Amino acid sequence: MDYRGVFDQVFGLQVWIAVGVFVLVTGLLLGALVVNRARRRDKLPFAASQNNPIEITFAVFLGGAAAFLVWLSLSNNHKLDYGDTLAVAQQTGLAPGQQPVRVDVTAFQWCWSAAYPGSSTLVSGSCATPADRPVIVVPQGRPVEFSLTSRDVVHAFWIPDLAVKRDAYPDHVNTLLMTFPETGQWLGRCSEFCGTYHMDMDFYVRAVPPDQYQAFLQTGALPAGAAA
Amino acid sequence: MTATEPRAPLEQPQPTPRRVRTTVLAWATSTDHKRIGLLTLGTAIVLMIAIGALALTMRAQLAQPQMDVLSPDRYNQFFTIHGTGMIYLVMTPFAIGLGLYLVPLQIGAPNVAAPRTTMLGYWLYLGGAVTLLSGFATSSGAADHGWYAYPPLASTRFTPGPGVDLWIAGVALAGTGLLLMAATVLWTALVKRAKGMTLLRMPVFSWSVVATNLMVIGAFPSLLVAMGILAAGRVNPAIFSDNTWNIGYQHVFWFFGHPVVYVMFFPFVGAVAEVLAVFGARRYFGYKGTVVALLAFAALSMSVWGHHMFSTGQAENDYYSLTSILLLVPAGLEYFGFLATLLGGRLRFPTPMLFAVAFVPQFLIGGLTGIMIATPVVDYQVTDSYFIVGHWHYTLAAGSLFGFFAGFYYWFPKATGLLLRERMAKAHFWFWLVGTNVTFLPMFWLGLHGMPRRIASYLPQDGFGTANLIATLGSGLLAIGTVLFVVDVVVSVVRPRRAPDDPWGGFTLEWATSSPPPPHNFDPAHPLPPVRSYAPLLDLRAEEGRA
Repeated sequence: MDYRGVFDQVFGLQVWIAVGVFVLVTGLLLGALVVNRARRRDKLPFAASQNNPIEITFAVFLGGAAAFLVWLSLSNNHKLDYGDTLAVAQQTGLAPGQQPVRVDVTAFQWCWSAAYPGSSTLVSGSCATPADRPVIVVPQGRPVEFSLTSRDVVHAFWIPDLAVKRDAYPDHVNTLLMTFPETGQWLGRCSEFCGTYHMDMDFYVRAVPPDQYQAFLQTGALPAGAAA
Repeated sequence: MTATEPRAPLEQPQPTPRRVRTTVLAWATSTDHKRIGLLTLGTAIVLMIAIGALALTMRAQLAQPQMDVLSPDRYNQFFTIHGTGMIYLVMTPFAIGLGLYLVPLQIGAPNVAAPRTTMLGYWLYLGGAVTLLSGFATSSGAADHGWYAYPPLASTRFTPGPGVDLWIAGVALAGTGLLLMAATVLWTALVKRAKGMTLLRMPVFSWSVVATNLMVIGAFPSLLVAMGILAAGRVNPAIFSDNTWNIGYQHVFWFFGHPVVYVMFFPFVGAVAEVLAVFGARRYFGYKGTVVALLAFAALSMSVWGHHMFSTGQAENDYYSLTSILLLVPAGLEYFGFLATLLGGRLRFPTPMLFAVAFVPQFLIGGLTGIMIATPVVDYQVTDSYFIVGHWHYTLAAGSLFGFFAGFYYWFPKATGLLLRERMAKAHFWFWLVGTNVTFLPMFWLGLHGMPRRIASYLPQDGFGTANLIATLGSGLLAIGTVLFVVDVVVSVVRPRRAPDDPWGGFTLEWATSSPPPPHNFDPAHPLPPVRSYAPLLDLRAEEGRA
C-alpha cells in the first residue's frame, strides 16, 4: 500500500495545523510581552481570574479539534493494511483469491536475509560495508507481503523514502503489505536498537519488472542489465 | 465533616531548637522535608551536569560522518546512561524533589508526612544512582541496551556482563525511592493542609504535584515489575525465546513509561503557572480549569502507553491513537491559563519569568509534534528516528528544564536566603534559548530524512553531516549556559548577598515565612497568614490596600 502517499498527505496537513497553532500562540505571547510590560501599564488589562463560558467554549472547541485529528488518524490508518491485509490488497488490483507475493525477511545481528517461498533463491549479506548490503528483490506492480521475523533480538525494517516501518521480533511474524508501482531501488535501515553494529544494518529493496523477477526466482540472480 | 471544613493540626507545634545543626550527619539523617528536598534536588543537579556531559561527548562523535571519538560500544553505553540517567535520576527527581520541598510550605504544613520514609526514599534514590553509574567501572562497561532495555537484547544471552545487572538494580532502587517520596508528599497534600487551606485553595504548583504523585503511584509499581522480568531474564535468558515475554515486557514497561513522561512535565507546568502569575502581578487565570485539566491529563495518561508500540504490529493502534490525541484537550486548557494570565498581566521580566515565558512556545513544539507521532500513519515513518529524538528533547530539555530553571531561579532565594546574580542568570537563559533550538530543531529534519536513532556513526553519503554539525554546535551553547549557571550558584554562596523573605512579591504561603524557612516552616515570628484563596498573600495585600 502507498505508505508514502498517506504519510505525505496526513503529515503535510498536520504540519500546516501545527504551524498555525504555533504562530497563533507565539503571536499572542509576544504581543502580551510587548503591550503588557509593567512600564507601559498602570493597572491590569483585565481583572477577572476566570470566565466559565469562554473556558467551556474553548474546551468544547478543543474536543472538536481532537475529534477531527482522531478521525484523520484512524481513517488513514485503515487505508493502510492495519488489521485487514487482504481487503487492502484487493483494492490495489489483486484479483480475489490470488495471494500476494510473499518475501520472508529475517533480521539478525547485524544484517538481513530474504527467502522466497517456492524458490531456492536466498538473499543475504554481511552489512559490514555498503557493498555487502543485501538487495531484497521484489516485483513491480504486484502486492508484496513482507513477512518479518528475527533470529535473535528485536529489529525494525524501515524504508525511509517509502515512509514505512515494522518491527521484526523473534518467535513472531509481522506482515507488511505494500505495492511498488515503479521500478527502483530504495535504502532500508534497522531502526530498533539491536546491539553493537546497529548502525551498519542497512539494506536495499529493489523493485524489478515481473519477467526479471521470475528470472531472479529461478536463477537466484538478476539478469545482466536489469532495470535499476 | 465537609470537605471544606478546616482541619485541626495533627501535631503540636514544636519549639524552635536553639540552633540548627548543619553537620553532614545532621543532613544525612534529617527529618526536615526542606533538607531532604534540597538533597534530592542538589543530587539531581550534579547528575544533570555529569549525564549532560555524556551527551556532549555523543554530539562530538556525531558532529561529522565516521568520527572516532567513541567506539560503538562506548557510544551505546553513553546513550543508554544519558537516557536512563536524565529520566530516572534527573528529571523525575527534579519533579518529585521540587514538590517535596515546596508542597508542605505552600499548604502551610510543618513538615512532610512520614519524614523518615521520605529520607529512606532519598537514600534509595542515591543508592540507585551510584549502583547504576558504577557500571562504568566494570570491565565490560555500563549497560548498553537503551533506556527501555527491550529483551531479548537486555538478556545475558545478548548483553552479558555486570553493567546490565547493575542497571536493573539501580533503576529498581531509584524507582522505589522516588515512589516512596511521591507517596509521602501526596499524603501530606491530602491530610496535612493548614487551617483554611481547602483542596481548592491549594496553589497550582501544589495541585500539579498532587497530579504528578498520583501518576507515580499508579505507574512506578509497573516499573518494578518490568525490572523483575528483566532480572529473571538475566538468570534464565531462555524465557525470551517466547514472544509473549518480549512483547509483554514492552506493555508492562510502557504502562510505566508513558505516565513518567508527564511526571517529568506537570510540576514544571505548575512552576511556570506560579511564575507567570507573580510576575504578571495578577491572580492566575483559569485556576479551576487548570486543576481539572491536570487531573484529567493524569487519568488519561494511564491509557496511552501503546503509542510507543505502533510499529510492533502487536498493539491496538487505533485505541492508543485515540487516547493519545485526546490529551490535547487538557493540554490546551493548560495553555489557555498560561496565555490568559500573560494577556491580563502587568509583566516584569526577571530571570524566572524569562524561563517561564520561553517554556510556553518551546514546550508547544514538543506537544504539536507529539500529536503527529500519536498518528500511526505518521509514526510508521518517524518512530525510532531522530524526529522522535527531537520531539522529546523539545518536551524535556527545551520544555520541562526551562520550567525547572524558572522554578530554580524563583525559589532559590527562598530556599537559601541568598540572591543569585541576575546578569549571569540572564546570560544562562539566552545561551539555553538559542542552544536548545539550534541543537534540537535539526533533529526533526534528520529523522524525516532517514537517520535512525541510536546510531554511533554514519557515512558521508548519508547526507546527515551538516544538520548534525549544527546540532553539535548548539550543544556547545548549552554547555556554556550550564557553566554560567554553576558559576552563578558558586558566586552567590562564596560572596553572599542576603535575600529578603519575599523578593518577588509572591502570592503563596512560602513567601510569608523567612528565607530560608525555620525548621517547622512557620514560627511565632513568621505566623501562617489566613488562607482565603489560592493566592493568600495577594488577598492580604488587597486588604491592606483597602484599609
